[in-house]
This record gives sequence, C-alpha cells and structure tokens, in this order.
Amino acid sequence: MMAGTAPLKTSFRQSMANLHTWTGLLPGWLLFIIFLFGTVAFFQQEISGWMRPELPTGPTSSAALKKAERHLAARAPDAASWNISLPSLRGGDPLMLSWEPREGGGGKAGKMTLDPAEGREVRLRDTMGGWFLYRFHFDLRYIPWWIARPLVSIAALAMLVAILSGIVIHKKIFADFFLLRFGKGQRSWLDAHNVTAVLALPFHLMITYTGLVTLLFTLMPWAISANFPNEDAFYKAAYPAGPTLEPSGKAMPLLPLRQLVDEAERTWGDAKPSFISIANPGDANALVGLYAGPAKLGSYRPPLWLNGATGTQVQPLPVAGGAFVTQRTMIELHAGRFSGPVLRWLYFLSGAGGTMMVASGLVLWTVKRRAKLPDPAQPHFGFRLVERLNIGVIAGAPAGIAVYFLANRLLPLDMANRADWEINSLFIAWGAVFVWTLARPVKRAWFEALAVCAALYALVPVVNALTTTRGLIPSLFARDWVFVGFDGAMLAMAAACAFTAWKVATHKAQALPRRKARVVAEAAL
Amino acid sequence: MIHAATFLLSLVGFPLLLLAMTRHQRDWLCRKLSPARCRSLRLSGFIALAMAFAVAGAGLGWGYGTVAWFGWLTIAASLVITVNTNRERIMPKVRP
Repeated sequence: MMAGTAPLKTSFRQSMANLHTWTGLLPGWLLFIIFLFGTVAFFQQEISGWMRPELPTGPTSSAALKKAERHLAARAPDAASWNISLPSLRGGDPLMLSWEPREGGGGKAGKMTLDPAEGREVRLRDTMGGWFLYRFHFDLRYIPWWIARPLVSIAALAMLVAILSGIVIHKKIFADFFLLRFGKGQRSWLDAHNVTAVLALPFHLMITYTGLVTLLFTLMPWAISANFPNEDAFYKAAYPAGPTLEPSGKAMPLLPLRQLVDEAERTWGDAKPSFISIANPGDANALVGLYAGPAKLGSYRPPLWLNGATGTQVQPLPVAGGAFVTQRTMIELHAGRFSGPVLRWLYFLSGAGGTMMVASGLVLWTVKRRAKLPDPAQPHFGFRLVERLNIGVIAGAPAGIAVYFLANRLLPLDMANRADWEINSLFIAWGAVFVWTLARPVKRAWFEALAVCAALYALVPVVNALTTTRGLIPSLFARDWVFVGFDGAMLAMAAACAFTAWKVATHKAQALPRRKARVVAEAAL
Repeated sequence: MIHAATFLLSLVGFPLLLLAMTRHQRDWLCRKLSPARCRSLRLSGFIALAMAFAVAGAGLGWGYGTVAWFGWLTIAASLVITVNTNRERIMPKVRP
C-alpha cells in the first residue's frame, strides 16, 4: 500500500503545480490589473479629493445644507423632484443638487455643484477621479461592461483556483514562513512569490472570494432566471423602488434638510445619508427618500422614506433577509468602505502585497523557463510573449496611473470631454511604454520602463505644487492629510520604482550551468 | 491605541515563532535550543498572536477587529521577514 500511495501523492502535487502555473499565468496580466487598480481604489475618495483641488477637504456642513435648500427653492420651486447627493466624511465629491421639472409644467431640469464646507457654488474640473480607477478594476475600458465582467469573473475564478492549488504545492508553508533569500536567482523569485502570498493569505482568499460574490449574478445568472421572469423583476424585488405619493395640491413648506438628515441618522444609528431624493417639494405630500452611505461592517441600512412636510415615516424600514445581508456583508468586506483610515492603509498594503504576488508569479514563470531554454538567445514565441507582456503590463500600467494624475493637473480646464481625455492619457502612456519596451532588449526594457515610472511618480507632487496652491509643503502646514498622504504616496512609489530599476541595472545574470554555457558558446561560434 | 497594541503584540509573537525554529536559532543565536525551549517559544508566540486578536476584537468589535488583526499580522510578519533577510547586515552590529 505504501509503495502505491507515494507516486500518487507526487503526481497529485505535480498536477496541482501544473494547474497553479496555468491558472496563474493565462489570466495573470488581467489579474495584475485587477489587483493594481483595486488596491488603488481603496483610496478612491481620497484620490477624487486630490483630483478636485478646487474642493476643500471635509464633510458637509449644516451651513452648506441650508444654502443647498435655498438654492433649490430659488431655482426650482415648482420642480417635480429634487435630488441631493452628499459627499461622505472622506470627501472627494462635491455637494450636488439637481432637479426635474413637472410634466407639462414650466421650467427645465438643472443641476448645481456646491462645496460641502460652505455651500458656495464651485466650478470643478471635469474628472472621473478615483471613481474611474475603481470602475476599471471590474468594468475595464473601451469594451462593453457585459464583456468585461465575465472576463473579470473568469480571472477571479482562476485566481481562487491558483490560490488553493498554490497552498497545496507550497511544500514548506510553515518551515519557510520567514524565508526570503536574495541574490539566488530562481530561488529568490520563488521566495518573494511565497512570502507575498503567504503573509497576506487570509486577505488574498477573502478579497478573491468576496470579489466573486460581487460578481455573483454574472457568474450564476440562473439563480435569478429560475425564480424571476427577468432580471429587472429580481432587482425590483431585491431593491424596492420605494413608495410614491401624488401631490396633494396643498402647499406646505418642506422641513429643513438638517432635520431630515438628523432623523435619518437617528433611525439608522450609525450611517449618514449619501443621497436624498425629494418628490413634490413644497407640497403637503412631499416624499423624501434618504439613502445611507457606508456604515459599520455587516449593517445594511435600507433607504428611509419620510413625509417631507411632517417628518413621519411613510413606510416602515424593511427587514433584509439572511442571504441578502450575507451578500452585502461580503461586498462590504471586499470594498472596505466601512474601515477607518488605519484599517484602510492595512487593506491597501495587503492589496499591494497581492499585486506583488501576481507580478512575482508572472516573472517567476520566465525565470524558471529561461534556464531550460534550448537556446537562451533565441527563445520560442510563447516565452517571448510572456516576457514582453510582463514588462508592458507590470511596468506599463503603473506608468499609466501616474500619467492619469499628471493629466488631471496639466490638461486645459476648458477642454471638451476633459474627463475622457484624462483616462485616454492613462492608456496612451501605458501603450507608449508597451510599444517602447517591445523595441528594446529585455533587461534594458525593464530598466527603462521602471525608470520612467519613477520619474513620472516623482513628477506628480512637483506638478501639483506648480499648478495648485495645495502642494506638499502648504498642505503640511494646513494639516491637510489627504493631500500630504497622496503626495507622500507618489514619492514612495517613485522611490520603489527607482529602487527596482537600480536593482535591475546592477543585476548580474547568474553563471549558466557549464553544459549550457558550452552549448551557447558553440552556438556563438 | 487598539491598533498599536494589536500591532505590538503581533510584533512580539512573530519573532518568538521565528526563534522557535532550529534553522533561525542557528542564524540568530548561533546555537540550537532544546526541544522544550522550542516548544515554550512557539507556545508563547502563538499566545501573543492570540492576545493580539483578543485585544483587536474586544477593542474594535469582533468583525472589524478580525479584519484589522489579519492586516496587522501581515505587517508584523513582513517586518520580521525584512529583519531576517538583512541578518548579515544586522548581526555584526548586535554581536560584534
């Protein structure tokens, strides 16, 4: 029996190793992009804040709410509905007002952007801010979302398979826990891959699994199709549209917004409204819907419906079912919006570990195979493809992000479709790095692409200081930690890229094994 | 404060676990410890990590605390690995 089980065990491990290699490699570049942009998106609001330097940092004040009220009453007294979108405590977004005219009535739809601190009307530069980086990590760009999401879902499934098979094939997960040996070629890359994977393993498992949960109905639409006539019917049942009230025709002033917001905060306990819709403002049948922003982990807050004239609840808060709450909690765990600043940094650092895990795995594939190539000077097509994709994606995507930030400061403010051009700049820069590195020898390509990354990230705080009044030093004096943190992160990223570029430049290829060296020497003759 | 305590307890736990391993004893202490010493080091290492969990859970709430605990474990372990990787640079300064 013993003799029989031993080969079976090896072959099981071997088959898991193959599974790990290919589920990791094939979607590897997409996974790198998802991890990179997803990690950055933990600071979505802070990035939006930096990309809208006209907007002061801080939550919505009572004074701003009062001014919002006055603006709406002056501009659209007879509107059918008013909408107010409130920025979260983390800032990044303006206080946005919009209104819809009554059917058949006069007036036009309109909107207004206010600064949440004082309620003054502000003109913001046209930008998608951190929102784009967040959306890109599951909707991609230039392709429709219904193609992007299945792709991302498949990549995430492969990731889960790669993590689980990776645990199986890691022979010494505890014995090698603390081992990271540099200067040993392939061994060092394996160590780096293992360390970044094992140290944040709970995070990697959690983020991959909950990521799949966010794409649940992309992956498994049958749960809906088996129980509902169509998808819309499901979403109507899961997220009810709320009550409607016909205008009574009797004028009655709307309660102050502050009072409505306070009422919502009292009812929810720990959440603040992020969106308020008001139907029939100024009527006795004014209907106010308040939607909760991020709250404590695992506490879904359903929308609250109040009568705007009396402040009484129009319908009781629905009680969410167990499955719904479980799904919501997993999504909250994935997005980390419930976390405070310290935990957000931990999320970010673990995500950075995941990004490095994917990158080191991709590089490891080439390192492992380079030694075995029949002729290292003329690698086969598959090897060259992986090698070039590695450089173009691992060094190209971060360069693109730096250019996205630079474009936010440098593109003319009155440019048409400015927000789109910020995004296009990201991909133009990324594409340029990709094409440039294709034309260079591998080692030079890595070095030059990383050096370009370092230079671009170092430029971001410089350009920020030159084009706004909120440079690193004034922000330090103003104790504006979002701006200080952003510029600091840019400098840290520049330093990390420069360090890696320097490591590449000073790296000496390991001496080839003697037999291989002879073959190469003979080939060269 | 809770974050700092969780981090520091993790930062106590991982070096104890490291020193419970023969390979790292040879590297850092230049001798092998008895199996009983190894066991007690390992046990105290795990106790420190468990205490970090208890502190995080009690102080931040069990859901929030668990997420934070895992995060701090990752950070603390990375620091211990960074130190261990640079042993040849650190050792001469500690034990000339």
